[in-house]
Amino acid sequence: MPRLQLGDWVDDGVSWLVDHMSWLFDAIKMVVEGLYDGIYAVLTAPEPLLLAGILAVAAWWLRGLVAGVLAFAGFALVDSMALWDKAMSTLALVLVATLVALVISIPLGIWAARSKTVSAVVRPVLDLLQTMPSMVLLIPAILFFGMGVPAGVVATLIFALAPGVRMTELGIRQVDAELVEAAEAFGTPPRDTLLRVQLPSALPTIMAGVNQVIMLGLSMVVIAGMVGTGGLGGAVNEAIGQLDIGLGFEAGLGIVVLAIYLDRMTGALGAQISPLGRRAAAKARTAGTPKLWNHRPRPVVALAGVVVLALVAGGLGIFGSSAQTTAATGTDVGQGKKVTIGYIPWDEGIATTFLWKELLEERGFNVTTTQYAAGPLYTGLATGQIDFQTDAWLPVTHAEYWKKYGDQLEDLGKWYGPTSLELTVPSYVKGVDSLADLKGQSSKFKGRIVGIEPSAGMMGLLKDKVLGEYGLDGEYEVVDGSTPAMLAELKRAYAKKEPIVVTLWSPHWAYSDYDLKKLKDPKAAWGEGDGVHTLARKGFADDNPEVGDWLKNFSMTEKQLTGLEARIQQAGKGGEQDAVRAWLKANPGLAEKWAPVGSSEGKSGANGVSDN
Amino acid sequence: MSSRLEAEHLYKVFGRRPGDAVTRLEQGADRDELRDDGTTAAVIDASFSVEPGEIFVVMGLSGSGKSTLLRMLNGLLEPTAGHVRFDGQDMTALGDRELRALRANKISMVFQHFALFPHRSVRENAAYGLSVQGVPRAERERRADEALALCGLAGWEDSWPDELSGGMQQRVGLARALATDADLLLMDESFSALDPLIRRDMQDQLLELQKTLKKTIVFITHDLNEAMRLGDRIAVMRDGRIVQTGTAEDILVRPVDDYVASFTKDVDRSRVLTTGAVMDPETRGDEADCDCPTVTPDTPFTELCALSARLSHPVAVLSEDGELVGVVRRQRLVGFLGDRQGAPEPCGNPSVPAHVDGKVTARA
Repeated sequence: MPRLQLGDWVDDGVSWLVDHMSWLFDAIKMVVEGLYDGIYAVLTAPEPLLLAGILAVAAWWLRGLVAGVLAFAGFALVDSMALWDKAMSTLALVLVATLVALVISIPLGIWAARSKTVSAVVRPVLDLLQTMPSMVLLIPAILFFGMGVPAGVVATLIFALAPGVRMTELGIRQVDAELVEAAEAFGTPPRDTLLRVQLPSALPTIMAGVNQVIMLGLSMVVIAGMVGTGGLGGAVNEAIGQLDIGLGFEAGLGIVVLAIYLDRMTGALGAQISPLGRRAAAKARTAGTPKLWNHRPRPVVALAGVVVLALVAGGLGIFGSSAQTTAATGTDVGQGKKVTIGYIPWDEGIATTFLWKELLEERGFNVTTTQYAAGPLYTGLATGQIDFQTDAWLPVTHAEYWKKYGDQLEDLGKWYGPTSLELTVPSYVKGVDSLADLKGQSSKFKGRIVGIEPSAGMMGLLKDKVLGEYGLDGEYEVVDGSTPAMLAELKRAYAKKEPIVVTLWSPHWAYSDYDLKKLKDPKAAWGEGDGVHTLARKGFADDNPEVGDWLKNFSMTEKQLTGLEARIQQAGKGGEQDAVRAWLKANPGLAEKWAPVGSSEGKSGANGVSDN
Repeated sequence: MSSRLEAEHLYKVFGRRPGDAVTRLEQGADRDELRDDGTTAAVIDASFSVEPGEIFVVMGLSGSGKSTLLRMLNGLLEPTAGHVRFDGQDMTALGDRELRALRANKISMVFQHFALFPHRSVRENAAYGLSVQGVPRAERERRADEALALCGLAGWEDSWPDELSGGMQQRVGLARALATDADLLLMDESFSALDPLIRRDMQDQLLELQKTLKKTIVFITHDLNEAMRLGDRIAVMRDGRIVQTGTAEDILVRPVDDYVASFTKDVDRSRVLTTGAVMDPETRGDEADCDCPTVTPDTPFTELCALSARLSHPVAVLSEDGELVGVVRRQRLVGFLGDRQGAPEPCGNPSVPAHVDGKVTARA
């Protein structure tokens, strides 16, 4: 069979689009971002509980008292889990995605319903969009739209488009042919037939489609979180990366609250806006005896309630918004300049990212930190969306990324190393101390070595070299998976004291949490360890010479790193920066050493700024 | 123009190259030959005219092409060949917009399954045609209410279609068609989906309305009884062709072929026939000379039977100006009822009465 270079064509196509269509993507990006910012601003303006009240009144109006009370309880729960801003960000994301999805899918569905050709063309495209693994589409989305909300919206959109189109087409096709004929027999023009007969009759089906669009959008939130949309999806990703079951559950619960609320509300809204649905609802109400928990305020009352709450909220928002968070102290090198740091949720990455956030903010920079998966992080750096990241394991672990993006990045040097890669067993596994000891022991470990992401450099090294060196090739199977899955497997086996071999690396918090044994590598098959590098986008060091210098000269000892990591671990989620501040206070002199703004250098630094 | 609606050599062919198919049909090809090529000839060479105020019934079994024919009359389907003239205007020459205007103002339609808009109230349904015409709300609601009242639905204006029985729903359908004041009413199997009793009510009501409204109606049905009850004239369709056009009596008494005759077998003749169809025009000239009651050619068959039973001699038939035009013998009456006409046959076996073979007994 001749090899079709389909992949290369796609590559070329994507590059061409990036080079030639960027005006289009920028326009789309601007619209999406504008919508998102607007909705997010509205959602976060009032006090959380006030907005919860407004949402609850809407639920009361659409579905009844019980729904209103439950809605309030759900949103209060979200607020009490300190996830309110994230939840609102997710809600805004889903609303924007839904809005754009409907603007595209309903006309497309109508068109498909009226033309067999369009329907035949659209159907396979929808199949592709819906079943193509979303991560595959996520990277091109980043290339087109950059990291952040627009890419997330597009990823969500692509997935959520299909039910909107399908249900609209189905709804219109299902309209009784005799009804359409009746409309035509009375001389109705085609447009009016659509608006006055087909769409109203198809409305329940179309609303079911809208509902599906929203639900699928919510289910994509976690995936979208990987490209830096933040919100609950970001929180879930973070929790997965850190194996933090509690936080994962809380963020997941937040998504569930949003999902149930949106599902019930769109369902009820569907019944409200179609005359048939209104009648069915009215019939159901009059059939039973009136009960307090079925009581629904009249629209006027509900509207008045929402307006009053919104006014109160608006008033509070105005008074509450005066608090300023960034107070630059000391020597102001940054003068409010924006710096974006991206990080993978690995412990040393989190520690150094927040360390630099603190240091740079101290020096007057305006720092944003966002968490990504490794792939999107490198894409973001290469496209200049992210200024720098501190957690590049080179040359082995991140070899693939370096190969692809290396020439678009600037290596600001190693700040920690060497690291080591290894196979690790729990200490309770006796008689296995070195890689050579694994031979003939496969039955003990069920023939499995629990690995991480197949894209990781160490996985390639393990399969291609290490196993061969020690003659373990046929005996063990390396299980591809993910880092969280590997850690979960380790945790499970550790709790039951079952034998297990995992791929691991140092530094890693697992070594402090569990009693583990690194398997010796007498043949040095793993090779030299990686260094942990700081990578910046091309041109970052020229744009910010001081920061560039600071990062180039930055290094940490193992004691400093583990000490900082331990602080952050104790402080828990959300307290990273406070932990960094406390740790810096306990280790005086380090801040000045890493980011010097002395009187003599201060001048040159100031000159440096004025040179820009 | 005397005729309201004229159809001239209408053809409708579905499938590939319909034009060629029409040429072949004109040259005498039949429907089955075409079907082998994947084309379906739904209507073949249909011609007829409908006079103002007339109820013209098109009767045929399913698949005979009658619904397709009807849809060409208001332009929902474009004829493959031939012309439709409405008040002398060739509809096939009209553009989409003009055709829509014509349908909105002059031609209404009533459907088999009512085709009421479920998201509109009864009043809004009845007012639909008027809203397409652009009549202001107040006026169209008034006229819709009038049409509903005419159809016996006063007081139901604010109900919803699905709250009504089938018969009432079709009254709404009828009211919707009448509300536009269209001259031509197309009714597509409009009563076929109703229970027999309701159907009869609706037929009576239509005839009652027709007495005052004098609409021109083309009515499609597969039920010959219905066709004969309603139709001033009836066209019988078979396999896309109109095989006979005529009055109910023409169809019943003078069927053009066995196919039409086989249809008429199940018809309740006593309700259709009149004295004119049954009488023997050969008279001696003195049948009306006694003082016995006489009949006219229009007298219904049932009345004629009742009278014949009371008289000892044949019933005399007098025209409107009192002239003797025919006689009816009792034997002839029984013969018509049993679809057996002609002279009595001689009896071969005296113990078995003539004319009472199994078939006739069963039918009597």
